[in-house]
This record gives sequence, structure tokens and C-alpha cells, in this order.
Amino acid sequence: MNLREYQAKRIFARRGIAVPRGDLALTADEAARVAVELGCPVVIKPQLGIKKRGKLGLIRFADDPASAAEEARELLSREAGGESVSRLLVEERARIDRELYLAVTVDHRSRAPVLIAARSGGVDVEELAAGDPGQVLRLPLDVLKGPGEEHLARLAAFLDEDPAGESRTTGGADPSTGELAAQVAEALYGLFRRYDVELTEINPLAVVADGLLAVDAVLNVNDDALFRQEELSEYRDTLRDPDPLVEEARASDWTYIELPGEIAILSSGAGLTMTILDLINFAGGSAANFIDTAQIDEEGIYRAFDLLSRAGRGRCLLVNIFAGLNRCDSLARGIVRFLEDSPPGIPLVIRMVGNREREGHAILREAGLDPCTELEEAVERAVESSREGERS
Amino acid sequence: MSVIVDSRTRLLVQGITGEAARRHTELMVEYGTAVVAGARPGAGGTEVHGVPVFDSVAEAVERVRPNASILFVPARAMKHAACEALEAGLRTLVMVSEHVPLHDTLEIVARAAEHGATLIGPNTPGLISPGERCKVGFVPAMYYTPGGVGVASRSGTLTYEIVSRLTRAGIGQSTCAGIGGDPVVGTPFPEILRLFEGDPDTRAVLLIGEIGGSMEEAAAELVLSGEIGKPVVAYLAGRTAPPGKRMGHAGAIVAGGRGSIRSKLDAFEEAGIPVARVPAEVPRLVRECLSG
Repeated sequence: MNLREYQAKRIFARRGIAVPRGDLALTADEAARVAVELGCPVVIKPQLGIKKRGKLGLIRFADDPASAAEEARELLSREAGGESVSRLLVEERARIDRELYLAVTVDHRSRAPVLIAARSGGVDVEELAAGDPGQVLRLPLDVLKGPGEEHLARLAAFLDEDPAGESRTTGGADPSTGELAAQVAEALYGLFRRYDVELTEINPLAVVADGLLAVDAVLNVNDDALFRQEELSEYRDTLRDPDPLVEEARASDWTYIELPGEIAILSSGAGLTMTILDLINFAGGSAANFIDTAQIDEEGIYRAFDLLSRAGRGRCLLVNIFAGLNRCDSLARGIVRFLEDSPPGIPLVIRMVGNREREGHAILREAGLDPCTELEEAVERAVESSREGERS
Repeated sequence: MSVIVDSRTRLLVQGITGEAARRHTELMVEYGTAVVAGARPGAGGTEVHGVPVFDSVAEAVERVRPNASILFVPARAMKHAACEALEAGLRTLVMVSEHVPLHDTLEIVARAAEHGATLIGPNTPGLISPGERCKVGFVPAMYYTPGGVGVASRSGTLTYEIVSRLTRAGIGQSTCAGIGGDPVVGTPFPEILRLFEGDPDTRAVLLIGEIGGSMEEAAAELVLSGEIGKPVVAYLAGRTAPPGKRMGHAGAIVAGGRGSIRSKLDAFEEAGIPVARVPAEVPRLVRECLSG
């Protein structure tokens, strides 16, 4: 679950990371009111699940409440990433001296948390690292221990050093920018652990007159841990997939994905489903959508057929059954029962192998279907029949 | 011979009283796996398909000396169960459940490393060593046959699809390991390559990978470094998958160019690892490197 900026910032603020003052606005009038409350200038940011809003011209500035309302009105008419803008975060516009970057994520290679810092913020950190690796510091951490004094000291020293290699630390009694950032990094790591986070990012972390401010906030939470994240449950509804079929599939622990092509696919297992997509594309066909079910039984396959039929996509339906643990005969019965209840308007290609394969095929044949055993043959037939659909 | 599980494996089934665990305990016993104990708090003193059940892992270890555990426990109980097994001295753990919270997996991986234990999964159908008549997990045994190819895969049904083709082509397997479909797993491709490299009966390795993550690239680097001397062949799923979508496996997502098919194909090419374009090509590539 990827929290929206304003949601992430609420969590940040709760956990001791300073964020700009601001409030959510759903209408132009509300945006103006927030601008009055905060005092201008303000920045207005649509709360969308996409990156690089700035580059898309979706971040606006206003010097008075009237122009805040105007900018807000314009933004609320916009759409980006398949989503229309419905919520705006209106914030005080901070006077920024310098921008930094901080993140905590999981390094899949070392299979451990990693703390990442960069001396410049507001940038694509991967591009930055690719161009000049010295600009980005990566500190792998032990998940059982977290960042220690030495990690935080290294981070502070790195951020205080300017690109020429000289330290900016003044040696005065006040903490340096690097030391302040290390405190933020420690809080960010705490939040990473506390909320089962996959990626949390402050880009940029702004150096302002009286400290550091998280001007933007990313907080992506591991879906498998949402059951223990009560505090985030209030956000779940706002982040639901707009497609009810996706949510319906998810509830059964299936994956449903819509694609732009012509063949609907019912398959089991992520790797095999991806392989089928590849084979279809290689054969010159294209997929309209797919449903990837876990091990299913007679009832399950009935429901999967039902979901696909309601999706109503594609010129042909390709069903792949590899029954290692379940049984072809009971799946065949589920299919036949569905077809009797609601005959589909599109041709059906079924490949079925595994336990009780012969019995399964017999049941399908009796119902007038023509199952096959080779995956390649099934794909060929599906591509062929999707083309026939095209001609007619 | 084989890797991780073999005829000397004495298996404990944690969570043995659940429906799936009961069924697969029966299938594992039927296949020939030495299932010596089950564990389930409150079920001590009972039996499942002739296997004695104990209240705790420690008790099972003390009484019947299992040396490996398969964890048929709910995802949210996995961390606790895995730690219980590690503390009781078990050094081979197979975690089948999908949806184990990522941070729990990180902790289990770190603790397993402290104990020097081998961890398979989470989100895996398990392993099978056909020549040793040992399967730990729910892989359907009928598709496997003894031989010299070590197989490691991120996916369940795709492995059955491909291995059944090897078996039909008369190419047997030493061990087939489902390493798990999550982004973080206990034994990623590089580690399993090292194990196969050390197994005298494994003559070649087949990696069944997919888009997402960087495990394939890490495996290619290891081959390139010369640490792996045995021939390695690969198949990759998701060549035509649209970027940015999570393709069923939590680990199969191409984000910001990372995990892309291009990056994996380039890494394999540089390491001289032949990659099958479609499953039908796999038996020929494997045979070529076995005879080469």
C-alpha cells in the first residue's frame, strides 16, 4: 500500500519528523481558506499515486488566497496516471537553503535494510548514483540491530562534506546539518520498522532557517503486514484499486490484471501465467487480461470464469490447467457447470493436464469442448481464434 | 546425492494438524520422505498419518531427532515458528506459506544466518530430490525423475511445466528447489548455485527465473567470477510483461528499469549462460550442456 504524500506526512509528524505546515483541500474554496490560515506564499500539490508531479506541471505556487483558489480549481480538473485529482495538499512554502535526500528500503541483494543518503535532494537518486556514485551513500543495516552510532556518524559526516571533499561542519555548539539529518534518518528507520515499510523516502529533505523539513514524503507499506497496522487502516479505503474486479480477485488471493489485447487468460501460478503471456505475444497474439488463481477447486474455477465473464474482455478465452495437486475432473465439472449457467459469447480454448487428466478431458468432450494437452497448441489455437474474431 | 534434502532427512512438520499439512504429510510419507514428527501446541500425543505429534519443536527434537522442518503455519505465525525451530537446533527450514510480512522474513533470514541454517522460502512449493525419494513440500512427485540436473525456481506451476518436459525427454533431476516467489527469500539463486556446485551428483543447473529483483544478475555474476564451474542453463518468464505491474508474485515487478528482462538477459549472456526463449527449448539446451 503506497500512502499518499499527505498521509505519509501525517505519519512522519507523529513520529517526530518535521513537515511543512499544511492541510488537505477538496475544493478551490477550501484551498483558499487553507492559504489564509497558513499565510502566503503556499504550494499546492495534488495527492496522486504517481511520481514526478513537478515535471508534469502539477505542483503550483500561489502568492495570495485568490490565486491559490485559481490554481486549485485548475488542478482539480486535471487527471494523471489514470486518476483524477480530487485532493490537494496546501502547504506553506518554505524558504529552502539546501536540499538533501534520505531513504530507508530493503536491499534485495543483501536481504537487509539499507539507509540511503544523498547530498542533493529533489533528484532521481538512481540517476544521481548512476552518474556519480560518490554523491550517494548506502549503509546496509542489520535488521536485528538497526542503525548504530557509527552508521549515524558516517551519514552525518557524508552529508556535511561538500562535493569537493571539505567538511562543512562548523565545530560550533549547534548540531551541523549532517547531524540533524542523522537524527531524521534514525526516526525514519524507526518508522520503517514500526510500519512494516518497503520504501520510505524524503526527497527533498529541506534545510531551512530553523532545521530540516520533509518537503515530500514516500511511505510504501508491505501489504502482507497490513493486518497488524491498525493505525493505517483509515487510509485503506482511499487507496483501493479503482477496478472492483481487481479488488474482488485480491479478496480470493488471486491476481487480476487488465491488458490492452485480445485474449482473456485463466491460469494458475505467477511464473506460468507470465510464460503464457510471453508465448501469446511470440505467436503474434495479445492478452486482454489475465486471472492468476492459486490452487483452485471446482467452486474456485466457477468463480474465476464468472469474474472473467463479467470483465467481458477479449475475443477468446484461454484456460490453462496444470493440476499437480488439484484434479482435472473436478475442475472440468466446474467449467461445464459455468458454461451451462452462462454460455460465453467467445470461443474457449482449454489446455488441461495433471491429476485425472483423462477423466477431465472426457467431461469436457462430453460437453462439446475440445481440450488439448500441449501448452503450445493451446496458445496457437487461442491466437488463431482471436484473429478470426478480428476478421468477423 | 542431492542438495538440502536427501534420504537422511528426518523431517518435522510444524503446524501438522492443519488441513493442507495433513494432506501433504500423507503425500510426503507416501513418496518416501522420513517424516518423523509433527509439532502443534496442544496436539501433543496425537498422530497424523502415523506421525507422532508433539506440543513443541523442542520436545520433538529431544524425542525423535528431526534434522529439518517444513513450516505449514499461517503467514503471520511464521516468524515465531521459524525462530522456535532455529532455537531448538534445526538447521534446515522450509517455509511454504505465501504472504509472510517482509520484515518478518528479514528477521528470519538474519536469525538463520546467525545460526548457520539453510532457509527455503517463504512462498515456495518446497523441494524434491527424486533419487533420494525425499520431497519436502507439496511438489507433485509424478513429474520428477532421478538424474543429474539441479533445478532452482522462483515459481511453482512453471517448474512443474518445465520439469515435466525434462522428465519426458529422459533428463532426470538431482534436486528441484522452489526457492520462493517473494522478493526476499532464504536461499536465493547464488546460494543455491553454490550448493549445487558442491554436490557431486549434480552435473548441470537449470535456473527458472523471472522478471523483478536482481537475483538472476547476482547468479550470473557468480558464474562469471568462475566460482561456479558446472554448466548453467536458464529460462526466464515475463519477457513481454508490461512494466510497473506486479505479475502475481510479489517479487515479479519491474520498477524504474530495475528487474527488467533486458538486464537479466544481458547478465546471462555475459556469463555465457544459455537462456531458453520458451519452455519447449529447455530440454535441448540442458542436453547440450550435459553432453558438452
